[in-house]
Amino acid sequence: RLRLYCVPVSAKMALKELSSLEKCLGLKKPNKYSTQGEKKVPVLQNNQGSALVGLVTIASHLVCEAQRTELLGDSAEQRAVVQQWLEYRVTRLDGCSKDEVKVILKELNQYLEDKVYMAGNCFTLADALMYYGIHHIIMELAVEEKERYLNVTRWFDHIQHYPGVRHHLPPVVVLRNRVYPSSQH
Amino acid sequence: MGFGDLKTPAGLKVLNDFLADKSYIEGYVPSQADIVVFDALSGVPSADLCHALRWYNHIKSYQKEKASLPGVKKPLGQYGPAGMEDTTVGVPAVKDEEEDDDIDLFGSDEEEEDEETKRIKEERLAAYNAKKSKKPALIAKSSILLDVKPWDDETDMAKLEQCVRSIQMDGLVWGQSKLVPVGYGIKKLQIACVVEDDKVGTDQLEELITAFEDYVQSMDVAAFNKI
Repeated sequence: RLRLYCVPVSAKMALKELSSLEKCLGLKKPNKYSTQGEKKVPVLQNNQGSALVGLVTIASHLVCEAQRTELLGDSAEQRAVVQQWLEYRVTRLDGCSKDEVKVILKELNQYLEDKVYMAGNCFTLADALMYYGIHHIIMELAVEEKERYLNVTRWFDHIQHYPGVRHHLPPVVVLRNRVYPSSQH
Repeated sequence: MGFGDLKTPAGLKVLNDFLADKSYIEGYVPSQADIVVFDALSGVPSADLCHALRWYNHIKSYQKEKASLPGVKKPLGQYGPAGMEDTTVGVPAVKDEEEDDDIDLFGSDEEEEDEETKRIKEERLAAYNAKKSKKPALIAKSSILLDVKPWDDETDMAKLEQCVRSIQMDGLVWGQSKLVPVGYGIKKLQIACVVEDDKVGTDQLEELITAFEDYVQSMDVAAFNKI
């Protein structure tokens, strides 16, 4: 049975994520963030007095600041796919209910069957933000659930080992239990 | 190790199962390991081998940069799940056991890196999106064990050894030696050396050693291993 997955989004977690992303991107000078509203949406105040609001907005801004725009996709098609998953992270994954988790895992498992990364053949911001967003769910999965959503498990294990990504999050042990035969779709 | 014969359905199935929870053959970045296995396939895996197919399409996208992927190519049989019988041909020769003595002059086999060290090493080697890496200069070397036989039991073996060790060549390094009785009070000199394949050959060594006619009756290669 799936246990408690909808962890209330905390300000600390949201800001830790941005801090990790900065390190992942190689940004030397950390920004100062704040949060607003019940959902603790992150805010980045810039010098000019205006603000950037929202995880995806700020994350995309950080990518540009670090001059790593390839992480947003380097073709029109890849850029679209990256955006799709950034949106998915904020609209579907964050704050999802227990029932929704199962649906998400099933969708992702199907999606990742023929893919190594979320978009195209290289690591993008979509992988980073999906990883950060889904970590608390994967941590709680039982062994047979990791087996059932094998493609998600495989992708997750890959990304958590990707140089520079993991930072604030504890590694999740992903052991393939050979007792359970690999299920075909 | 090994996947079995990757040109057969059975081998492909092993590969497919192996890749179910892995993105790459070794570690978490594309490496020469993936190229070795990729080249061993006779074509695109069928759709029912979905993990092998996923991996195949992904590695195909690295075709242009495959020479600069990290890692060093190993024989095909050394990749894959542990516990599989290595059925590939051309496996590097197993070290010969000496009939005459128990002492191993060359020490243990090259150490295997454990998983963790390998992962960390690969993570350091891989740049985020750049696929460049320096190619190490590979010098082919061999370790050779020579048997040098004297004329009789009165030959001064210390002098004989001195003569052999006096042979200096670029790419030749003398190692340990010992005297091994061969019967009738006669002892042969067993001496090890490491040579660079391009610079030193056993024919040359034989010529040079047997040139010491006063001491040396003959020379044989007792063991020869690629390093």
